[in-house]
Amino acid sequence: MPTLTIHPTGEVIYLETGETVLSGLYKAGYSYTVGCKRGGCGICKVDCHGGTFSYERPIASTVISDEERVDGTCLSCRAVPDTDITIELRGDNVRLVNPFLRQINEKARLRAEAAIATHTCRQGPPSAGTSEE
Amino acid sequence: MGVMRMGYAHVRVTDLTEAKNHYASTMGLYETHTDVSPDGARRVFYKGWDEWDHHSVVLEEGGVGVVKYGWKVEKSEDIDIIEKKAAGFGVTVERMSKGENPEIGDGIRFMTPSEHVFEVYHEATAIGTEVGTHNPEAFPRHLVGVGAPALDHSLVTAEDVQGMEDFLREVFDFYPTEKAMTSLDDDGECVGTWMTSNNQIHQFAVIGGPQGKLHHFAFRLGDWHEVGRAADLMTMDDVPIDVGPTRHGITRGQTVYFFDPSGNRNEVFSGGYLAFPDRPVNIWTVDQLGKGIFYHARELNERFTTVLT
Repeated sequence: MPTLTIHPTGEVIYLETGETVLSGLYKAGYSYTVGCKRGGCGICKVDCHGGTFSYERPIASTVISDEERVDGTCLSCRAVPDTDITIELRGDNVRLVNPFLRQINEKARLRAEAAIATHTCRQGPPSAGTSEE
Repeated sequence: MGVMRMGYAHVRVTDLTEAKNHYASTMGLYETHTDVSPDGARRVFYKGWDEWDHHSVVLEEGGVGVVKYGWKVEKSEDIDIIEKKAAGFGVTVERMSKGENPEIGDGIRFMTPSEHVFEVYHEATAIGTEVGTHNPEAFPRHLVGVGAPALDHSLVTAEDVQGMEDFLREVFDFYPTEKAMTSLDDDGECVGTWMTSNNQIHQFAVIGGPQGKLHHFAFRLGDWHEVGRAADLMTMDDVPIDVGPTRHGITRGQTVYFFDPSGNRNEVFSGGYLAFPDRPVNIWTVDQLGKGIFYHARELNERFTTVLT
């Protein structure tokens, strides 16, 4: 359950496992300039400042250079985060176009964080966990 | 009469399996051939149900964008005439032999001033429409998905739109049916041109932009209802719709713009009025271009001029 942080506004968006950066942003009510949504046009590039991501579906080699493969360029329609990641949009900043969806995403993120906290708490330190049993 | 129609659009796709699913299952084209190109790329050939020649769409695995367009001429002499005119325009023309493209005859190949590869040919293996010619039914009973009957036209970008219009007029005997101009004054610059050789409202269109790029290639449909139904099917198959269903002010055609699984823009197009060489050319000024392209929204979306493959 990676989170996506948008630099510099600091918005934190909750993604489902396997969800692309673009899909996560849209589902949370945000919009920015995108094109074909199929890895062919390169319009939806963002910069990844922290964390890692993978492309699980094909992208056109013509829209991502070898240099861009390693410099943090992230084709957001195809990029699936492996870890929590921080991105910065190019040109226009991300626009909140649907506050309702943002609210739903925020609640999902808080629930996920609470679930992790409870899980960690219940397990506790390894020794404490075994002594209860 | 020279060029009769755009015979084939040959495009690149990043993943052939996904592309085949789109062009066969969603668009409903008929697969007629598969092979591996001399360069080692896998290819698939398709035709629409109402087309009689061997193929109208070729998919080649690896990358995106257009490889080339094929143009079918009425008479074999037309190839020689076009070869001379293209050479006269200063373009280097090479001969292509029968079989260089599967099931396509001898012809010529050249790079246009817009840096798109054109092939001109007269012979293609005829395999017939899906309804035949003897007391034919109105359409095949078991069409798949959209069931596109035929390839229709394409829009590309070029740095010098007027130059490309001059080229198509000179070499192909095309004439413009509609144009987009920066102003109605004499010094207005042409930023878009929609051209044809016959009554079809446009066969090839050019707008300002980078050299050698594909904006879209389009499939023909019958009417508004079929365009709407195609859009429904795109939603069912999770095809990203760019715009539509809507109408173009330019050509008056009804349309959906959408993307194939590699990001190449496709269109389904119906209607459009009959073109005649003596009909006065419609002119769109850039301030009204939004209405010209998308007649209802009346503004260009941010993808129209930026998303190219």
